[in-house]
Amino acid sequence: MSLKGKLNRLKGHMQLEEKQQPALSLPEAHEAKEIPHMDKWNKLQAKPQFWADEFVMVREVRYPLAYQHGRYRFEQLHEILAAWQSCGLDHPLSAAGLNAEQLLFFDTETTGLQGGVGNTIFLLGYSRFDGDSVVMRQHFLAEANAEIALYQSFLQAVDSATHLVTFNGKSFDWPQVRTRHTLVRHEVPQLPQFGHFDLLHGARRLWKHELASCRLSLIEQAKLGVKRQEDVPGYMAPILYFDYLQDANPDTITGVLQHNEWDVLSLITLYIHLSGLLLEQQAASAEERFEIARWFETLGADQPATILYEQIANSRHSLRKEACIALGHLYKKQKNYSQALAVWEGLLQEGGYLSADFFIELAKIYEHQQKDAEKALYYAKHAQRLLQQKGSLLRQKAKQDLRACEQRIDRLQRKLTRL
Amino acid sequence: MQGKMGISEILEYLRADDRFRRNIVHWTTIPPRLAQTVPFPEELDQRICQALAKRGIDSLYTHQARSFQLVREGKNIVAVTPTASGKSMCYHLPVLQKLTEDQEARALYLFPTKALAQDQKSELHDWINEMGLAIKSETYDGDTPSAIRQMIRKAGNIVITNPDMLHSAILPHHTKWVSFFEHLKYVVIDELHTYRGVFGSHVANVLRRLQRICRFYGSDPQFICTSATIANPRELAEQLTEKPMQLVNNNGAPAGKKHFIFYNPPVVNQQLNIRRSATLEARDLTAQFLQNGIQTILFARSRVRVEILLTYLQELIKRKLGPKTIQGYRGGYLPSQRRQIERGLRQGEIIGVVSTNALELGVDIGQLQACIITGYPGSVASTWQQAGRAGRRQGESAVIMVGSSSPLDQYIIQHPEYFFERSPETARINPDNLIILVDHIKCAAYELPFRQGERFGRAEIVEILEFLTEEQILHFAKGKWFWMNESFPAHNVSLRSAAQENVVIIDITEQGNERVIGEMDRFSSLTLLHEEAIYLHQGTQYQVERLDYAEKKAYVREVQVDYYTDANLAVQLKVLEEEQGRTNGQVEIAYGEVSVHAMATMFKKIKFETHENIGSGPIHLPEEELHTNAAWVSFPETLLQTMGQTEVERGLIGVAHVLQHVAPLFVMCDPMDLHVIAQRKAIHSGQPTVFLYDRYPGGIGLSEEVYKEMGTILQQAEHLIQSCGCESGCPSCIGAAEEGGKELAQSLLRVAQGGTLYVS
Repeated sequence: MSLKGKLNRLKGHMQLEEKQQPALSLPEAHEAKEIPHMDKWNKLQAKPQFWADEFVMVREVRYPLAYQHGRYRFEQLHEILAAWQSCGLDHPLSAAGLNAEQLLFFDTETTGLQGGVGNTIFLLGYSRFDGDSVVMRQHFLAEANAEIALYQSFLQAVDSATHLVTFNGKSFDWPQVRTRHTLVRHEVPQLPQFGHFDLLHGARRLWKHELASCRLSLIEQAKLGVKRQEDVPGYMAPILYFDYLQDANPDTITGVLQHNEWDVLSLITLYIHLSGLLLEQQAASAEERFEIARWFETLGADQPATILYEQIANSRHSLRKEACIALGHLYKKQKNYSQALAVWEGLLQEGGYLSADFFIELAKIYEHQQKDAEKALYYAKHAQRLLQQKGSLLRQKAKQDLRACEQRIDRLQRKLTRL
Repeated sequence: MQGKMGISEILEYLRADDRFRRNIVHWTTIPPRLAQTVPFPEELDQRICQALAKRGIDSLYTHQARSFQLVREGKNIVAVTPTASGKSMCYHLPVLQKLTEDQEARALYLFPTKALAQDQKSELHDWINEMGLAIKSETYDGDTPSAIRQMIRKAGNIVITNPDMLHSAILPHHTKWVSFFEHLKYVVIDELHTYRGVFGSHVANVLRRLQRICRFYGSDPQFICTSATIANPRELAEQLTEKPMQLVNNNGAPAGKKHFIFYNPPVVNQQLNIRRSATLEARDLTAQFLQNGIQTILFARSRVRVEILLTYLQELIKRKLGPKTIQGYRGGYLPSQRRQIERGLRQGEIIGVVSTNALELGVDIGQLQACIITGYPGSVASTWQQAGRAGRRQGESAVIMVGSSSPLDQYIIQHPEYFFERSPETARINPDNLIILVDHIKCAAYELPFRQGERFGRAEIVEILEFLTEEQILHFAKGKWFWMNESFPAHNVSLRSAAQENVVIIDITEQGNERVIGEMDRFSSLTLLHEEAIYLHQGTQYQVERLDYAEKKAYVREVQVDYYTDANLAVQLKVLEEEQGRTNGQVEIAYGEVSVHAMATMFKKIKFETHENIGSGPIHLPEEELHTNAAWVSFPETLLQTMGQTEVERGLIGVAHVLQHVAPLFVMCDPMDLHVIAQRKAIHSGQPTVFLYDRYPGGIGLSEEVYKEMGTILQQAEHLIQSCGCESGCPSCIGAAEEGGKELAQSLLRVAQGGTLYVS
């Protein structure tokens, strides 16, 4: 019995995905000059680039600086860079000291969603500033065997860039580039050590409560004013690429190229917008200001955090209470205990639910700073009641909290009897 | 009893006491063996010598020295040593020596389980610290924190892991391990004998992938394997690694005198040949040792048995020793709990442990004095592994194997010579099983494109690559096959499960706290996880509420009922192609490819104590199809007339029952991996036939071996029925008592061996 016969018989026991469509046969190999459908590639503004006997398709589209993509014109990036330069803030998104041409707004398309060696990058796309225009360039793996050509052409083209701007590129795109690059590392130049602004982190910080998900396309609609038409969803990209490998027809992959082009253009708009909010060049909503304040707080930038919290604390917004609590922590951290107490006790008088943690914090200040054991004990006992009511006593954390609280009460009571 | 008895006094007591004496059917004494040592090799690094000396070691056992020498000569080795013979030094010494010379060198240690890897890590750390070497060794498994992972990938000299991690976490991400693969010098495979059957066939392919990646990074590591005693360690090592191997079997470790006793529980019902429960007998024997403070291990066949025996024994000696001194040990215990038990045993705080075969493997629990085995563990090799838990370098030790009523146990217990004279089983793998091979070709293509003309170990793969290209999983361009699929193939391939698509068992007893409690292969789920089935898990009863066969999920809820369920499986077997055949008198014995169709039809509810049938119901599940290999015995059609149709059928059923137990003995497999069915009129020939088939799609070589060994198997089956003490059949031979049943089965077996139907 032939092996193929056996294979077909045992097929039911194997995990094979459904065939997408009958395979079309392709000519075994073609001359470098005879790239199929060259007319269509020309229309797409794509040209082949050769390396040894392999080639990669490089598509290039230029936009004037005044071109408006969503809410902003590209040239507004220059104002943003200047603002970062002059504000003196230390922030992970700060591009102080950089010029626009150093930034590579970068995104890839791959054959799978999971990291792993076999997940092939078939498109390396980016936009960047180049003199009086923005150039959008895509290096496309037109034949599966041409990865050396792909990385050669890409690495040559991005020679002078120093920083990547991506959306989730820190955990996905760039590690994947590194993975695939490793496979051809002896035949191509080394990867540059890029600086990296991953805008996903900032977007999550600002909008994770507000938006259903932090996908770039959702952010475009809700925040950037970008409207895509007939966009091919990202998850379709692998399947379309597999189809393209079967028919070698650029029409099959055009939608993916367009999708990627929008992505890398929107990265410019998103960077301008996020920076604008952080630098107060753009009017931020109270929610956004609150999240920006928290971001600054975690970065240890107390001063801008305090200012933003104070703005919300002085408003009637529903985040007022959270802002006051946070503000108290900042005052406490700056050893400004009386101001911390003033904000927190102000909240107490307003009534409403306050957590056990809040009362513990009050107890701490009274015990250690104000040396008022009686008041400290009062608040500690209040916290204890709240913890006991919580009903989640089975959880390890809640148990620990309660134990710590009870120890505090014991200690305070001993202090009081000693007096 | 006055005062405590020592082990020889207890043995004397057993030999003399009426209650025990009559049940002892065999008593072998294995004489003590002296240590055989040689001085440290000259080239052994001073720091290593000093660390050994600090522990009072001033020479090497002969097998350790030989291993060191061969590895230094660049050879691949497999060292066969019994338990507690300093086996890990066979690989530690050459690896550490290399690391004293080359700090960049890397070694990969593979252990079959996470627990063993953890165990070895602490041992290795101790050595490295005592030697004062700057060697980084770390375990890499599912529990390793991500911060440490990166350090291990970049700088770990010795990476300790298991084949599953290598398969699904290391190889598919090999680009993160560049310097590891570039400098990989040694691959250590401990407990080699566990890599057999389906699991071994998978692991052989994982090792093909490993070597393929090594070649890509320009390394060609040496293999150092250690194995318990099996018949073919060298062959197995060569099959697994596809490298020429040198065998090291000059064990130089000393051993004390050892008593090996076969114990058959007394018959309590002469007519039905029912014996007293092996569990109870084992309990009583164990108690004799424990009450005298003798460190004892008791092996039980299942997790549930472990718990039952544990409760019995703790109750029994509670007053004398305190319950904590006896512990259970089985899968399902937390790792920290296991570590604690292992330590307690080593330090002597725990004197008794009741275990499943989990402690068969090389977990370090020190050496105990007595070992009681409840029921034959299923293979000669396993039995020796379990027996190896008892035995000190000095002084006496005892192993008692207590037989159960199963045909296999009765055969072994009554044929001690089979056990002692026979070399342990051959471990078999079939890396080229098509299903397994295709799975790993996919994983390998994911890791690196295949080039035209490239081979995958010894396997021919062009046709498979073309097949996968047609299936649009690979893409062929310019002489290379590229992975072109969205999936991550290693995640869909489990090295340990018999079939790839397992049914997941989900406990929905607690709302909001649904959890997966186990999985089962699809074929078995037909009869064990149908709706309303009672499923037993760790002694708890669950009822299956819903079986989502399409999604492969069974939803179960905890219940307490006094019955179990038993499903009928209608099996159809069709011969697709006969590949080999021979005749033996009137019968034909053949081997070939078959398709098995199985359909669950109905189930019965059977009451625990009385075995009454208290209800039944239909099962609505689709037919399952299995393509596999089988060996079969075809009887002449004329038998139907000469013997009678019903007689032939009854005889065949009896033969099938015996073969189901005897055949696994000769092919070293779990009885679950080999199935037997009988057909009065086989579809392909119309003849009365008994089939023995591989349970795994595509076959893993078991039935081929059955075909080769058929003569012996039939002979032993006949012998078993003959020597069974029952009158007309019992569970220990043909399955049930039936008028003339034994004679019918024996007649058929005689015919099968070329004899005639009737004897005078």
